[in-house]
Amino acid sequence: MRPELERLRLIEQQLLNTPAALPAEDWNLRLLLDGELAVDAEAQRQLYQGLRQAGRQQLRQELRQIHAQLYGGWRGWLRRAWAM
Amino acid sequence: MTASPRLPKTPPASATLRHALLTNREQALTRLYHQAFPAVSRYIGRHGGSEQDAQDIFQDALVILYEQAIGGTLTLTAAPRTYLMGIGRNLWHHEQRRRARLSYEALPDDLEPLVAEAPEESTFAVLDYVERLGEKCKSMLLAFYYFQQPLTQIAATNGYRSVRSATVQKFKCLERLRDSVRRAFKAETIEL
Repeated sequence: MRPELERLRLIEQQLLNTPAALPAEDWNLRLLLDGELAVDAEAQRQLYQGLRQAGRQQLRQELRQIHAQLYGGWRGWLRRAWAM
Repeated sequence: MTASPRLPKTPPASATLRHALLTNREQALTRLYHQAFPAVSRYIGRHGGSEQDAQDIFQDALVILYEQAIGGTLTLTAAPRTYLMGIGRNLWHHEQRRRARLSYEALPDDLEPLVAEAPEESTFAVLDYVERLGEKCKSMLLAFYYFQQPLTQIAATNGYRSVRSATVQKFKCLERLRDSVRRAFKAETIEL
């Protein structure tokens, strides 16, 4: 992978705490040596937060579709009538 | 006597559910919906809620269950439908209390505290740019970062010959997303 993508991977390993994450002291040393690392890591953390929101939105959309498939049309009418 | 290694124990029911949600999400969610929604809907109907309330509350409960199951933090001690009923009941009571407070309290003059509770502005910006990524990148990033599908599965679904190719593509998509968000923030800063 090119160096820019390797940097994304390095930050990802720390943020998601994967088995390949650096020990805390090594990561802190990198932060000291690389002035932009903290800013890049914060930007990447915000990307993950946005992706989480986007994922939730998609999951909700999928659930609305499942609801429509199960209870839309005559099935919905039947269920409401049964509940009365 | 040698001590047996302490392996992390995941209750079988949670592990089975997690596996089902990862391998065929639509089928697993449809089954859960079919099994649990009628009871939750009846409960909410009998406790002052509408059909729409039941739908919203149940879907919130399913999102909670989904995230816990996928994240490996779910401990099921009963059937998933019982668990969903429990979450749904709690969410509905919470919602009823929220509505009661709103009807008794006047609207605040100063809306600042409400704004402070809202998600970070940058999250909205990222959301916007996820939508503009294009279907392939969007679905790949969501599959990995939210739905937590294994890269082997993502590679197979998207027609990549190896996990390595899928990994590289995933980071390229993440880079595109980061760059478009960055450009937007820079443009905003210059305009200000």
